[in-house]
Amino acid sequence: MATTTTETVRLTIDGVPVTVPKGTLVIEAARQMGVMIPHFCYHPKLKPDANCRMCLVEIERMPKLQTSCSTPVAEGMVVHTATTVVNEAHKSVLEFILANHPLDCPVCDQGGRCDLQDFSHEYTPTTSRFLEVKRVFPKEYFSALIETQMNRCVQCLRCVRYCDEVMDVKALAPSGRGTMTEIKHFTTHQLDCEFCGGCVQICPVGAITSRLDLYEFRPWMLKRADTVCTYCGDGCHITIQTKGNDLIEVNSAHGAGRNNGDLCARGFFGYHATTHPDRLQSPLLRRNGELVPATWEEALEFVAETCIALKLKHGPDAFAGLIASRCTNEDLYVFQKFMRLVIGTNRIDGSARYGHINGVRALRRVQGTHRWTVAFEDIVGAEVLLLVGTNITETNPITGLKVKEAVKKYNATLLTIEALVPAIGTISNIANLSAHHFSVHPERFGNVVLGLIKAVVEGGLVAQTLTQRAPAYVEAISQTLRAIPWETLESVTGATSQALMEAARAFVAARRAVVLVGQGVLRTPGGFGVATNLLDLLLLTGKHDRPGCGLAPLAEENNDQGAVEMGALAEFLPGPSDLDDRAARERLAGLWKEELPQRPGATLMQILGDARAGNVKALFVVGENPIGSLPRAAQAKEALERLELLVCQELFLTDTARLAHVVLPACSYAEKDGTFTNTEGHVQAVRHAIDPIGESRPDWEILSALSVLMGYPIEYGDAKEILKEIRNLIPGYGLLGPAPATPRSDEAVVERYLREGYAEDVGARYQLTGAGSFDMAQPATSSAESDRRDAGKVKDGLQLTLVVGQTLFHSGKLSTRAKGLMEVQNAGSLGLNPSDADRIGVTDGDRVRLVNQAGEMTTSVRRLDRVPEGMAVFPEHFDEEARRLLTVSVDPVTQVPYCKSAKVRIERL
Amino acid sequence: MLREKYKDEIEQILSRYPVRRSALLPLLWLAQTEEEYVTEAAMKEIAGILRITPPQVYEVVTFYTMFNLRPVGKFHIQVCKSLMCGLVGSDVLLGWLQARLGISPGQTTPDRLFTLSTVECLASCGTGPMMQINDEYYERVTEERVDRILADLKRDGTSPLKSGPFILPQLAGSEK
Ligand code: SF4
Ligand code: SF4
Ligand code: SF4
Ligand code: FES
Ligand code: FES
Repeated sequence: MATTTTETVRLTIDGVPVTVPKGTLVIEAARQMGVMIPHFCYHPKLKPDANCRMCLVEIERMPKLQTSCSTPVAEGMVVHTATTVVNEAHKSVLEFILANHPLDCPVCDQGGRCDLQDFSHEYTPTTSRFLEVKRVFPKEYFSALIETQMNRCVQCLRCVRYCDEVMDVKALAPSGRGTMTEIKHFTTHQLDCEFCGGCVQICPVGAITSRLDLYEFRPWMLKRADTVCTYCGDGCHITIQTKGNDLIEVNSAHGAGRNNGDLCARGFFGYHATTHPDRLQSPLLRRNGELVPATWEEALEFVAETCIALKLKHGPDAFAGLIASRCTNEDLYVFQKFMRLVIGTNRIDGSARYGHINGVRALRRVQGTHRWTVAFEDIVGAEVLLLVGTNITETNPITGLKVKEAVKKYNATLLTIEALVPAIGTISNIANLSAHHFSVHPERFGNVVLGLIKAVVEGGLVAQTLTQRAPAYVEAISQTLRAIPWETLESVTGATSQALMEAARAFVAARRAVVLVGQGVLRTPGGFGVATNLLDLLLLTGKHDRPGCGLAPLAEENNDQGAVEMGALAEFLPGPSDLDDRAARERLAGLWKEELPQRPGATLMQILGDARAGNVKALFVVGENPIGSLPRAAQAKEALERLELLVCQELFLTDTARLAHVVLPACSYAEKDGTFTNTEGHVQAVRHAIDPIGESRPDWEILSALSVLMGYPIEYGDAKEILKEIRNLIPGYGLLGPAPATPRSDEAVVERYLREGYAEDVGARYQLTGAGSFDMAQPATSSAESDRRDAGKVKDGLQLTLVVGQTLFHSGKLSTRAKGLMEVQNAGSLGLNPSDADRIGVTDGDRVRLVNQAGEMTTSVRRLDRVPEGMAVFPEHFDEEARRLLTVSVDPVTQVPYCKSAKVRIERL
Repeated sequence: MLREKYKDEIEQILSRYPVRRSALLPLLWLAQTEEEYVTEAAMKEIAGILRITPPQVYEVVTFYTMFNLRPVGKFHIQVCKSLMCGLVGSDVLLGWLQARLGISPGQTTPDRLFTLSTVECLASCGTGPMMQINDEYYERVTEERVDRILADLKRDGTSPLKSGPFILPQLAGSEK
């Protein structure tokens, strides 16, 4: 936990007395009072290294100058930062640095925002006493995204330390020694890493720069817009820098946003998707079977007229709408209002249905909140963290950094239930930091959770207060778990009861415990139950209402949480309130001055089913792409083909938009204003950085224009007006503070859950899943293993579980238009555990065929140590063919379509 | 693969350190003894054994002049270039060697007999200028001694001018 000690120390800096917390470094104390001590190697994110000597100051009663970046304040200390001696020291340090620095500022992208320029300007004489030849490193190609110019390096090692301490990637090596130290990757290999851009951002000079905007700008030419990244639920602050209408670069200042200026590859290098040449320039209208350009008037009139006619003929419930979570809250809000008032139906749904809804529903059910009761600060401050199916580095990289910070900096104990094998790779692996790691396939995450809960109830770890408060609840859980013998649990989890017991003890012992649950659980059959069980774990251990404790379901899409809160889902009204919540309906009707539609909503799979049955005639699709997201088995295409009207608001002509009758070009996040709500429930401002591409318009504006044409105007002057209306409904929504105001759990709801709510499905939730149907996570020593090794010879192939999921370098299909990210990953390949790869005799790049009843595909192989045996991973961003193999099952309660994995046979080609 | 060939040695080395990563130098030394220089494959393998990344191994290899990243000749001449030796004429010694061998530091003679390197202080500052050839020290080296040493090495593979014997770091497992 960050030093929360209130102990303070008084000292004097340049004659001014200051009081700062004990442990503060002199350089920070000075900064707090507005004195900037020059420095290179110091960075508040990193441990002091004191290698550059730039920050020397005079401290009375200390014999020599001291490095202020590594000296903690002491009571009564008297510091001078600008005496003659100190200035001389600054001068000499710079003279040594400049002895080798090429001074090629005119061709250096750092020019204009370079610490070395600034300090030289301030401290050095204009001449040098050095006559020697300057050091010259042979120029080496570093990577497609990151450029190095080592002659400029001041050897502060900030890049190396960032990559290690913050990222845990350790991709950079200061090779050589002394002046000849050079930052490299591994010998002459190109950089292969997370490409978070952190080293680019933290280098104080122009030694590490981005190649995406090489030589294209001077900092003072750029216009800046502070906004929010659109690639995942972490909701990082980004500053988009533009020249004219061109995107030049993206970065994020230290201290900015929930991400504290850290980004991942998608945020830092993924910005070009927005300006991809394939962006739709004008509306498209289907004429004689072809989509052809049309004017906005033509397109909107066509939609309005067709809608009016269809509504007359079939009624409002022949309509449905789907919206992507990449839209702003304003878009989502107007969308649901349009569907409910203008069309008159509740049949709307969105991408939160793919999994996020499972977490939200569990929270609402057990504790009456729709948001986390914790925030990123609580993750950093936790004593114990439990990660379940998060694959956090790849899906929510910045939440991942909070976990790394908690573990690496503040010694939190990490428990992980992940489909990851701890292994060193080119990207970080959270299992490496874990104290108690359980590596299982996604279908069995829930089993390990049961194991932990069994350990809690059978190890006498249940909180006293709870046993008194809800004896029946505790007994019901204990009883169901007693029916599952440890041996069975051990065999389906590959974990010993001892290991589970130790992990449970570590969890219980912590005062602050945060449980993070990711898409691996939420998008896998049983996800709703596992999320609920994790809340049981918090309840049983008496933690759920403790400050700093809670369950945090990770949102994959950037505004999944906003979609829930704006009521753009089948079961919710804005708030969110349940669709049948009488009071909420009345309030809303009062505000909208209109009755709300009575009939129930419909979820994604119901909508598709109804369309296939011919009951849905018209569908509005805003940024969603069911054909591109769902497996073929979901028959989305067949459903959409039957529609009489398919309207798509899109950036690109997606697989779904290709079937549309009308395609309306929408603005990307970079061209509009509004708000996004991140996974923590923090509402943040989205600001346009460039003008709309072509004739595109914000989604809400398109819907608003349509509403006018349909004689039912819902009009707004700008996005702010919409937010104002949202605030009328949800008081205080999006007040844009620095951190989210986290809700407390609703004790009445908890009480109800403990008394009776749990009983609905406790039997079903406390069952082992995936048992017997396939073998995985088998210890590699069993004889089954050697059988498999023999049986697994090339000819009959190997049985595996294929998991199609998110990777670090992409987000949905959108990022595949970002040229920077395509440099890192431009096609799908199958990640296989090396032993499985050996079993079928394949190595990197070899082709394999995957087959099951549903179909087959061929792809190339990548051996990955972090993939467990018996599993194969494939990036969903390139899953065109893989989707053929996947099956769909729908959650009976939350209607989530589970479609991320399949059993396949793999054979070498 | 080192792991197969030196299984016991590696275990023994690892057992000496409470922190796994500390075994890096001895393992690199083992790798170098095996192949005469540290190969990329060895660096990767050692990274795997110690659970660190290959760049972290590479960083250490490049720091120590003791480790070679390229094959060296039969006799690896390492001339101390640090301050004390510098004051008593290491540049003359180096110049003489370059002239005699016809190569610059970092190079190997075409007959692959000699590789010339410059290194940091070898802790023999009182007897400079000095150099180390393979595992042996040669101290207070003059031009005339260089000529004799080179001739001896070519002829006999060793030279009586070497100092020592010194206690060398024993290769784990090799003590009989
Ligand atoms: S971009 Fe790569 S090398 Fe640079 S800090 Fe990030 S992970 Fe490390
Ligand atoms: S590349 Fe930049 S950050 Fe890294 S050591 Fe050199 S100057 Fe410092
Ligand atoms: S993708 Fe997520 S983690 Fe990466 S920069 Fe964007 S919001 Fe942050
Ligand atoms: S900033 Fe203090 S030594 Fe570098
Ligand atoms: S300076 Fe040459 S051995 Fe020390």
